[in-house]
Amino acid sequence: MTFVSLSRTKKTLLAGLVIGLILLAIYPMAATGYGIRFMLQLFMWVALAQSWNLISGLTGYVSFGHVAFFGTGAYAAAILIATHGWHWAPASSMGGIAAVVLALIIGYPCLRLKGPYFAIAMLGLNEVMRVLVSYFEGLTGGGLGLSLPTLYASVQIYYAAGLAAIAASVAAHLIITSRFGLRLMTIREDEVAAEAMGVNTARYKLYAFLISAFIPGVVGGLHARDQGYIEPISVFPLLTTITMIVMALFGGKGTVWGPVLGAVGLFCFQELVWARFLYLHQILFGAIIVFVVLLMPRGILGLVQQRYHLSRSL
Amino acid sequence: MVGQVVISGLLAGALYSLVALGLALIFGVMRVINIAHGTILMLGAYTTFWWFHLLGVNPYLSLLASMPLMFLLGLLLQRTLVTRVVDAPELSSLLLTFGISIALVNIAQLAFTSDLRSVEFLTGAFLVGPIALSKSRLISFAFAVTITLLAFWFIQKTKLGKAIRATSQNSEVAMICGINVPRIRLYAFGIASALAGAGGSLVAVMFAIQPEMGQVYTFKSFLVIVLGGAGNYPGALLGGMLLGLVEQLSSLFLTTQLSEAVAYVLLVLVLLVRPSGLLGGRER
Repeated sequence: MTFVSLSRTKKTLLAGLVIGLILLAIYPMAATGYGIRFMLQLFMWVALAQSWNLISGLTGYVSFGHVAFFGTGAYAAAILIATHGWHWAPASSMGGIAAVVLALIIGYPCLRLKGPYFAIAMLGLNEVMRVLVSYFEGLTGGGLGLSLPTLYASVQIYYAAGLAAIAASVAAHLIITSRFGLRLMTIREDEVAAEAMGVNTARYKLYAFLISAFIPGVVGGLHARDQGYIEPISVFPLLTTITMIVMALFGGKGTVWGPVLGAVGLFCFQELVWARFLYLHQILFGAIIVFVVLLMPRGILGLVQQRYHLSRSL
Repeated sequence: MVGQVVISGLLAGALYSLVALGLALIFGVMRVINIAHGTILMLGAYTTFWWFHLLGVNPYLSLLASMPLMFLLGLLLQRTLVTRVVDAPELSSLLLTFGISIALVNIAQLAFTSDLRSVEFLTGAFLVGPIALSKSRLISFAFAVTITLLAFWFIQKTKLGKAIRATSQNSEVAMICGINVPRIRLYAFGIASALAGAGGSLVAVMFAIQPEMGQVYTFKSFLVIVLGGAGNYPGALLGGMLLGLVEQLSSLFLTTQLSEAVAYVLLVLVLLVRPSGLLGGRER
């Protein structure tokens, strides 16, 4: 496919993107405190959905415990900030590295598991991380949680979270348009065939897994700083994994813009509509999951793609 | 001390076997991981609570209500929703059953509140030498073993059970042999839900219950069917007992909190070394 004829559309889109980013960059000057917090969380969700997309959208290996990396990053950063007096920015990066280390330990054996078994192992990983964090009370404060020193840094965290979202999306773009991305997608379509063609599947799956774990680790660190208090239940909920997945799925998994679209759509809907109903919104969320899975498994971009021929890099 | 721990491990294990046999049925017949399995167990537990609370009749008799009710709920879920994702990639069924689960849990919270509820029926314990046996646990154990064995007999001996086993071995060949595979899936989901409902009734007599109790049992059932070999029904029985023992022993030698981590390490080890489970033969 060539895009010579589309170059004008592409230019318009690119210009729109640049204007959008500039607007987001100057937004904090005009925004209320609520507005900043809203956007900040939206950025985090974009990054999380994007990170899940990198491993599961591309390779088809369903990371059903992706929040384990988020929680690990949150705890690593919170411990560095609270007990070692680190600045939150390097601490969050260390959160990302902690998540990568965990991914290396878990990914090496578990990425050999196929289909549902990998999903079960990842689900279990999340449970175990929560148990371990509660157990090592000396380090993590156990079930009582960990409080960080008070700091008003919403605007800085807004930019950091925005940067994380952009970095995750750029990473997704680079990977999806590269040979590496093609190899990952070959694994998704047919792993045996990929191996037969000479793709070192074990190695590429692991690379994708590590990159995919780094992002939620950093976001977890930012989340810990933003909230000022974390506890095992608040940073290891299965619901967060599911939300990431549904966002990626809703927008269109395996694409660059799908997770962004899905995160924006679902998060806005969640904040604007469901926040008014305490219990009902979870029931509604359940219904939305069922709806998305049954009626639009390829997501918004998938539906658009059926009508128009779109580039994979979209 | 060790004797006491082994006994409590077996008492807990029988319940795990019962609940996991249901999950194994669903996984065996459809290759679907049912995240809502524990949620159905929770609904079974509430059936028993309300039975005892409103009628004041022996809570063990509520099995007569919870099993058929959950059987019907299972049929309904399979007929309307789950059947649409049976042949889809595992992500669809995982998400779909999670969606069902979260909706049901929150409906239960609306209807029953999140308060801890308990059925105070049998308290106290039998003393056998140095070993104390809680009455409610012992009787629940007897029920769990009986129901599990009945279900197992049903799968092994009856015509429908044979059809279920055939479908879980190879659904396409089963279809060629004249087995109505969609109907078998429907029954399998119903029976599995009835087993979860029975498990819930027995849990309600032993422990306090609340709407979010199910997730733990879903996860433990995963452990059991992996230990025993997915879709391997005798394996589920063995796996349940084994999980009960491992949990109790590791909480004796380590701490209660770490026992879950030990069970997970066991899960990963079994998945890596014997992916078809402890009793499994060839890998499928």
